[in-house]
Parts: sequence; structure tokens; C-alpha cells
Amino acid sequence: MAAPMELSCWGGDWGLPSLHPESLTVMAYAKFSGAPLTVNTINKSWRTPKGDLPVLVSEDVVISQPAKILNFLRKQKYNADYDLSAKQGADTLAYIALLEEKLLPALLHTFWIEAENYCSVTKPWFASRIAFPLSLYLPGKMSREALNRILLTKGGPPLYSLTEVEAQIYRDAKECLNLLSKRLGTSQFFFGDMPTTLDAFVFGFLAPIYKVCFPRVHLQEHLKQLPNLCRFCDDILTCYFRLAVSGHSPAGQDTADANLQKLTQLVNKESNLIEKMDDNLRKSPQHPPRKLTTLKLAAGGEESSPMSRLSP
Amino acid sequence: ATLCFQAFLQMCNLPIRVICRANAEYMSPSGKLPFIHVGNQVVSELGPIVQFVKAKGHSLSDGLDEVQKAEMKAYMELVNNMLLTAELYLQWCDDVTVEEITHPRYGSPYPWPLNRILSYQKQWEVRRKMKAIGWAGKTLEQVLEDVDQCCHALSQRLGTQPYFFNKQPTELDALVFGHLFTILTTQLITDELSEKVKNYSNLTAFCRRIEQQYFEGQERDSAAIAAPSSKRSLLR
Repeated sequence: MAAPMELSCWGGDWGLPSLHPESLTVMAYAKFSGAPLTVNTINKSWRTPKGDLPVLVSEDVVISQPAKILNFLRKQKYNADYDLSAKQGADTLAYIALLEEKLLPALLHTFWIEAENYCSVTKPWFASRIAFPLSLYLPGKMSREALNRILLTKGGPPLYSLTEVEAQIYRDAKECLNLLSKRLGTSQFFFGDMPTTLDAFVFGFLAPIYKVCFPRVHLQEHLKQLPNLCRFCDDILTCYFRLAVSGHSPAGQDTADANLQKLTQLVNKESNLIEKMDDNLRKSPQHPPRKLTTLKLAAGGEESSPMSRLSP
Repeated sequence: ATLCFQAFLQMCNLPIRVICRANAEYMSPSGKLPFIHVGNQVVSELGPIVQFVKAKGHSLSDGLDEVQKAEMKAYMELVNNMLLTAELYLQWCDDVTVEEITHPRYGSPYPWPLNRILSYQKQWEVRRKMKAIGWAGKTLEQVLEDVDQCCHALSQRLGTQPYFFNKQPTELDALVFGHLFTILTTQLITDELSEKVKNYSNLTAFCRRIEQQYFEGQERDSAAIAAPSSKRSLLR
């Protein structure tokens, strides 16, 4: 039906399909809308596109920013916002602007500018995914771009030093998280029961903060105090990405399911057998009691051994 | 942006006097315009001014619940993100507009060559910022499309109500009014930007309503009263 679509983006770790917020947003949207995307994670090959990731390639069309990719998917009839009213669509735009203005600077800071985080986690991780010698240059470039962006958009007077800017952006980010938590309340997704574009964006921004293990984590600690947002991320990961919170692979999960099914079937069969035997016994009470006990023990034995064989 | 503040302060029923100064940017504590001068305190930018006014006991958003406050903040960010950036783009990154309108206007209080130097400096600064947030690659059509999307969202949110949140005006109304009014009334080379806004009749009606309610009243008052000291004035 539609042309095959390939998405190139940064890979994942710590239970996430991707560490990069924008890649994660696009992947989440594709899952929500059912778009058949083949995801290629960047790993040490020279085919790394020079531009920004994520990049969607479909036939001859190459699209690079998340908003444009989502527009393209919608035009291909993969629309997760189908049930939204016009006002909810307007709210979506507003909340996305809020995320970009208030949360993104702090996210960029935590990943790329905070010295401990950058040196011990971000730089090695990204460098290991990029081919040499680009791995020496590209993480540094991404870090400089992030710093530039933060200073140019948030760093004007009266904030004159980097520490003041940092304090301000973390204050803004915590306020933004509080606002999101209030807006989500107790519902499963932001607009009812079905996930939409806004859920994809919020998930894309929150999940890296929530899951990646950094040495300096005060934003993560703040997020963990908002249980509805944590539950929101976990739900999306388990339902749509099948990488369970505990980190089992999909194959392991399936085997466990199959085992459980087999076990249930066997137990049912055994209980049916036992019922039949009971019926027989009742119908023919002249059987000696010794045989009765033997039968019961045998039934008990048969019942317990399959369970012990299949327990994980 | 000045209009946002005037609207906001009018809505709080606080009388103000507007003064134009060439070195206003340097007088402001944060380098950003506009700022207010109250007694011996100087406060600039919308966020701090709103908080300052709130601390003095006037607030427009007390009647909102938590979710509505979150929505209001989100919409204010949308307006700042889209409309403000689009206005800056149009003023400083569109070559035709820059040459014909912005350079002369920005440099007008200063003698040559200072006017050219200052306006080039400002232009370079704005272009750097656009590049950092990814707007440098956008063409004029894309920017206009973004403005259209933003106006569409605002129009949907406003619907048929008189203000964005029921019957009472809030900071969001002041902000939107300021931006839209500026877009509608500023003379540019092309009228495309104001045409985009005019497509949404409820937005133009909203602007007109606020103008009539809060600004025409002020002009009548200031013409009628001869001694301004007799008015209760918070701001000199």
C-alpha cells in the first residue's frame, strides 16, 4: 500500500528504544498510529547521515525534523490525532511549545553540558555509536550546539553567568513537569484513552530523563516525585515498545507466556482427570479403600511433577 | 510587546503613562523592553511584571483552577514561541523588510554611522539566535505557515467566548492582544502577515473588543482630567 519507510535514529539503552528525545518522539508516534516503520539505529557505520537525526526516508523523500516527519506520516494516513477535537489540537500545539521552551533546555543541559554527566555517560555512549574518527568530533559538536542554544535563548541579561542560567532553566523545567503532571491528572493519556501526538512528544522528552542513569540527577529525582508521569512513561514502554520495565527481551517474554499457557492446560487436564476419577469412585463404592489412596496419591504425584518441570 | 503590558495593566485597572526613550533598552535592568518604573523599583519583562503586580495584590488569573493555569502557561509559551519569533524573523531576517523598514526605524534616534552599526549588530544577534533554534533554514512561506497554524490554534481555543478563559480577561488575553494588534496595525512591505491574522474573524473581533474596552476609555479619561496628580497612580 504505502511505500516502505525507513527511520534512521539514535539507538537506545537502559530500557529505552532510543536515548535521543526527538528520535523517541517519532518512534512513539509511529507505534501509536500504526505506521510500519523500519527503524535503523546508528551504529558505527559510515552511512551515518551528516544532518540531524532522526531522518525518515521513503522512496526519494528525505525528511528530517520531528514535526515534519509527523506531518508526513499524517499525510500517509497514519494519524494518531483522528479523534481529537479542534480545541484539543490547539492545546497540543500549546503544550508542545511549553515543552520546547521550558523542558528542552534542561534536558539538553543534563545530557550535554553538565560536566560529570557528559564525560561519564553521554560522550562515551554516543562515541561508541559513531564510526572513528567522527566519534572524536561529533559528540563535542553536539555539546557545543546545545550550549549555544541555551545561552542564546535563555542567557540574556539579567542572567549573566552560566550558573544563573542553569538555575533558571532547572526551575523552569521543574515548573513544566509540575504543570504536565497537573494536566495529566489520573487519566491514562493526555486526551482520554488513546495516545496522540502530545503523548508522543511528552514521552520523547520525559523518558530519557526518567530512565537514563546519570551521576547528577536532580531533574530525575523531581520527576520521580510525580508518580502519574512515571506511570505514563512505564505504560507506554510496556504497551507499545514491549521492552518491559524490568528489561526482559521480547523473545523471553514470549517463552514465558507459552510456558504459562502449557502449564495452565496441563493443570486443567489433571483436574478433569481427577474429577472423572472421583465420579468413578462414587459410582462404584465397593472398591477397597487402599486403591482409593493409591489413586489419590498418583493423581497428586502426576499433578505436581508437570508443574515442577515447567517452573521458571 | 509594549501593547501587551499596557493591555495587562489596563485590565488590572492600574493607570499608566507611556514614555518613549531612545536609550530605553539600556535603562531596562534586563536589557529588554518594555519596563515599568514604580516608585523606586524598576521591573522589566512580562513574567516579573505579572509577579510584581500580583505581589501588590492585583491578579487576573486567581479564578482559574490548576489545569486551566497550566493551559494558560502553555498557550503563553506558544504565543512567545511562534508569534514572537515570527515577528523577529520578519523584522530582521527578511532582507527586503530589513532594508526598507527595520534599519531606518531602529537607527533613527542616532546619527550616522552609529545607526547603521547598531542595527547591523542587532541583526547579527537575531540571526544567530534564529540559527540556534533552527529557524534560519525556514523560508518566509514556512514562517507564515507557522503563524497561520498558531492563529488557527488561538482561534480554536477562543471559539465564541469573549476572552480565552470565560468572562474574565487574563494575562493570556493581554499577551495575544498585544501581538495581534501589532501585527494588524504595523505597516510592512507586504500585508501577508496581517492577512493571515485577518482570516480569523473571531481574533480580529477580540482585538477590537479589547481596544474599545480598555484603550478608548483611557484616552477619554486623560483628555478629561487636567490634574493627573488627583488620580490614584501607581506608576509615575
